[in-house]
Amino acid sequence: MNRLGVLFVSAIFATAMPSAARAADPRYPDWPCVQAKVPELSVGAMWDGPSIADVGNSWQDDPKIKDLVALLAARRTPLDAAKKAIDEFLAAIAPSDKQSAATKLFAGLFDTLNQQRSEIMDGIERVSRNEKELADKIKSDVESLHRLEDKPNQDPSKVNDLASRVEWSTRIFEDRRKTIRYVCEVPTTIEQRLFALARAIRQNLN
Amino acid sequence: MWLRLVLGMALSALLAGEAGAFTAYVSNEKSNTVSVIDTEKWAVTKTIKVGQRPRGIAYTKDQKYVLVAVGDDDTIQMIDTTTNEVVDKLPSGPDPEFFTQGPDGKFLYVANEDDNTVTIIDIARRAQVGDVQVGVEPEGMAVSPDGKILINTSETTNMAHFIDTATRQVVASVLVDARPRFAAFKQDGSELWVSSEIGGTVSVIDPVKHAIKKKISFAIAGMRPEPIQAVGINLTRDGKIGFVALGPSNHVAVVDGTTHEVKKYLLVGERVWHMAFTPDEKYLLTTNGVSNDVSVIDVGALKVVNTIQVGEQPWGVTISDR
Repeated sequence: MNRLGVLFVSAIFATAMPSAARAADPRYPDWPCVQAKVPELSVGAMWDGPSIADVGNSWQDDPKIKDLVALLAARRTPLDAAKKAIDEFLAAIAPSDKQSAATKLFAGLFDTLNQQRSEIMDGIERVSRNEKELADKIKSDVESLHRLEDKPNQDPSKVNDLASRVEWSTRIFEDRRKTIRYVCEVPTTIEQRLFALARAIRQNLN
Repeated sequence: MWLRLVLGMALSALLAGEAGAFTAYVSNEKSNTVSVIDTEKWAVTKTIKVGQRPRGIAYTKDQKYVLVAVGDDDTIQMIDTTTNEVVDKLPSGPDPEFFTQGPDGKFLYVANEDDNTVTIIDIARRAQVGDVQVGVEPEGMAVSPDGKILINTSETTNMAHFIDTATRQVVASVLVDARPRFAAFKQDGSELWVSSEIGGTVSVIDPVKHAIKKKISFAIAGMRPEPIQAVGINLTRDGKIGFVALGPSNHVAVVDGTTHEVKKYLLVGERVWHMAFTPDEKYLLTTNGVSNDVSVIDVGALKVVNTIQVGEQPWGVTISDR
């Protein structure tokens, strides 16, 4: 980046940053996404089968269900393959046990994906906090740079050092910001996956 | 009573014979397309590229066109229903989201969220013939079955405004719960239902007295109240059943049209928004904005019987009447 570029970036930081960093929902000041933050998923919005209230962690006691939950929850498993695995698993179960197995399977997926989603949201907020700190740092560096340049007998090497630090920090800031925008989609992707898997399980109970 | 009603509907559906093939058009807000669905095959037969951010969608009364509001292009596009191609457009004013037609299908009333007006368009002439200044951020719209009153709900004032379609003046306003979204009349004109998205309720209004006669609330087992947001409303022609789409709760409420009691909640798809009946009222289609699909509800059995994948963020749906 040439000098003009650094000045341009520093102008953006001096003016636009405070508002860009402001969160939309006052309850979650570190939440940087345009998507509203919904901390926990609701069972009721995903599942109209038998209640999972009494299932607890018992789904983990059945190794078949535990393994299947791990396979289905992994986003690298394509959704079509996941649905097929659900159908095959439930087809092999005696009719009298089907309802209980399906409910356990859903409970396991709900626990696992809800947890996964929460961890990702925590991560997004952590990155967002780091971004704010970095933004403050860049802003103060830019101010120092301006002061240095305004000095009558400036030291060119000092100015250049500071300018290149601003340039690097800005690049890191921008890269992270792009990543956040992409990662903000992930909680919704997980919710969509859980809903689709729940529907596939439910269809086996009709 | 309820059982008799359901049985009666099932019987009338039987007498009417098997459902013919109708065509449904679904606007996909994010993918800028309209999906065409065959209701016999329950499959998408064509995807039409339209303008930016398609939302409000409806057949013209003569069934020759499907109109689709493309908000980010500041216009309403006209799809020819024989060729399924965009052939013309209407001068809607800025950022049209939703529109409605009078019973004769001559005029189109368009809510322009950006400049707080309702634009009136003569469809045949493709021309603006007037506008009405309404409350801040107009949203839901409905015309009374006799065509005399236009309802417009305002997102900011939380009111349903009654507009005389002849004089184009606001003649009454009724305060409802937060963020009114959608309005629907019973076919006999005896009731107006208005949904409130944030309030999570439906206000049943007496359109003569301009007074709320009942407020319908919703509660779904295992769910906090926040995601229960009332949006689309569809009433059967006989006024005996009302369906209310409950947004991010992923459910549709089935309401007894006479007692206004909620009879059942049906799990459909994620973020259910708007709905449309097949003309025989045998099926109700819902658009599910996050799961990117359309659910098919069997109205007689009150069960979800099918799911059809469409484009990204399906918003509105309209179905041919023949």
